[in-house]
Amino acid sequence: MQAIKELSAIVGDPISYARKLKEQSGKKIIGYMCTYAPEEIIQAAGAHPLRLFGSNKNIFLADGHLQAYCCSLVRGVLEDALSGDLNFLDGMIFPHTCDTVQRLSDIWRLNISYGFHLDVVLPVKLDTKSSRDYMVDVQNRFRNDLEKALQVTITDDDIKKSIALYNEIRGGLKKVYELKNKNPEVISGKDLSALVRAAMIMDRNDYLRILLNVIAELETKGSTIKSTGKRRLIISGGICSQPDIYSVIENAGGVVVGDDLCTGSRYFEGSIKTAGNPIAAIAERYWQRPVCPAKHLDKNARAENLIKIAQDGKAAGVIFMLLKFCDPHAFDYPYLKESLAAVSIPSLLLEVEDQPQAQGQLQTRIEAFLETLS
Amino acid sequence: MYTVGIDIGSITAKAALLQDGRLISTNLIFTGYNSATAGKKVFSELLLAAGMNDTSGIKVVSTGYGRSSVDFADKAITEITCHAAGAYFLNEKIRFIIDIGGQDSKAILLDEKGKVKNFVMNDKCAAGTGRFLEVMARALEINLDDFGALSLDAQNPAQISSLCTVFAESEVISLISKGVARENIIAGIHESIGSRIVALAARTGLTTPLMVTGGVAKNVGLLGALEKALGFKPDVSKYAQLTGAIGAAVLANKL
Repeated sequence: MQAIKELSAIVGDPISYARKLKEQSGKKIIGYMCTYAPEEIIQAAGAHPLRLFGSNKNIFLADGHLQAYCCSLVRGVLEDALSGDLNFLDGMIFPHTCDTVQRLSDIWRLNISYGFHLDVVLPVKLDTKSSRDYMVDVQNRFRNDLEKALQVTITDDDIKKSIALYNEIRGGLKKVYELKNKNPEVISGKDLSALVRAAMIMDRNDYLRILLNVIAELETKGSTIKSTGKRRLIISGGICSQPDIYSVIENAGGVVVGDDLCTGSRYFEGSIKTAGNPIAAIAERYWQRPVCPAKHLDKNARAENLIKIAQDGKAAGVIFMLLKFCDPHAFDYPYLKESLAAVSIPSLLLEVEDQPQAQGQLQTRIEAFLETLS
Repeated sequence: MYTVGIDIGSITAKAALLQDGRLISTNLIFTGYNSATAGKKVFSELLLAAGMNDTSGIKVVSTGYGRSSVDFADKAITEITCHAAGAYFLNEKIRFIIDIGGQDSKAILLDEKGKVKNFVMNDKCAAGTGRFLEVMARALEINLDDFGALSLDAQNPAQISSLCTVFAESEVISLISKGVARENIIAGIHESIGSRIVALAARTGLTTPLMVTGGVAKNVGLLGALEKALGFKPDVSKYAQLTGAIGAAVLANKL
């Protein structure tokens, strides 16, 4: 698919894309670390939200600031920042999630001279009345901070327009996942991964146009493709930084039909209400959405969500793909694994780095896991 | 019917020949640089020794990290599934396998039919593997074949805290410079590997009867350390290093 090829090229080199976008559109580019950054408000301010995904360069500058137990995602982002590769950024947003991102925020504030620096101090517990109110206050404060930093006024109308755009993008991605669930071979895992990541990198209006074309194409294609009966799997974890894993799974006779990833379903689940106060509506989505392990909902919430994803996908198994040293994910893993086992869903744990892995080992584990499912 | 299993490991290539499910011949060579060549060689030597000229009708399953380079195999199956089939073939009672190979170690839990229920592999790191022992043997100027037996003479096994091959080597070098006896250093290395592997196994539902497979099972000192860490004597077959190849041949019988 030509559109996906273009998206893959952008996903492969987001920095060049963002620099060019800035040159051509004159838009301010605001970097952010995770799906808890209120992108809708950045977009409403007329700026461009750019999610950062780590680096494919050798990491040495960042190691002067971070301990060895920090994940490769944070090390990679800091490397790109320190090397000056991100010096086109007009600002950087750090939502309060895990400890390592908090440390990155401090190191960034003390060492990176370009662009403004904003923390978004979100509540951690998301199952109390006070956290619901607090979440609204945090979003209001972010709106004010961003107005000051960018010297713009963000009107409710601006935010509503942005919400409408994001609802369309999120709804579109959800649609693609539904098509993939129905007919897993309609789009390869690697292409789907590029499609989701591009949503966090590209100009959102340009992206939506492409996404809608892709959906139309997949809907036509879906009816002509016969399933080859590959084993259906779910991936769970943080970011999926290794799209090659999808090809390894597909070559071994499996196929990923759904995920619980922050470069996947956690990004697009939940639409924002269009009626009422738009800031409160944005806050409400964060409050309702499936959580990442750095947040707390009911203690069974993540397991219930994962089991539902697996059952909806009629999955034979779940692959946990965790970034090495990601302690929030590692903390949840034993209970998620046991919860899956309790409903007879087998799982496999892969600990990976942000950078390419020893392929042979990854392949052996995935193939062996698929062999145990047959 | 004849079936052959070919296990291309990171250090050695193994082959096993079965006739109607009965083991009749095995072969083992160094893998070297080219695993495709090693696959052909270990196969042709195996058949030659068994006096077989006609390869037609022989089912072949390849396994090991070089399994996909054996282009004449009917199927490639991972070493995890093959070790399970091989251990089950050697002893049907086995429910748990600790496999220590050249480049990685694995803990495998089996069901009562010899099928893999769960497994875990060490990460991309040579700690606690055959390659690690080779590096240590070189640092201590000991022939690898004598390495295991020598540690049985240890009076006070040394403490080796790091299991990173590179760091452990520097720990060993500081022990050497302190004048610690070789046998104590080697026993220390074995104990640290033993406890590390038992920890890996504990994550996979360690149970008995337990069999140790892989080339490192030839090291009696390490087996002693494993026994100490496990609290019981594991089962070891004389075919330990060939278990993967035998399992591949067993699975070829089911193709």
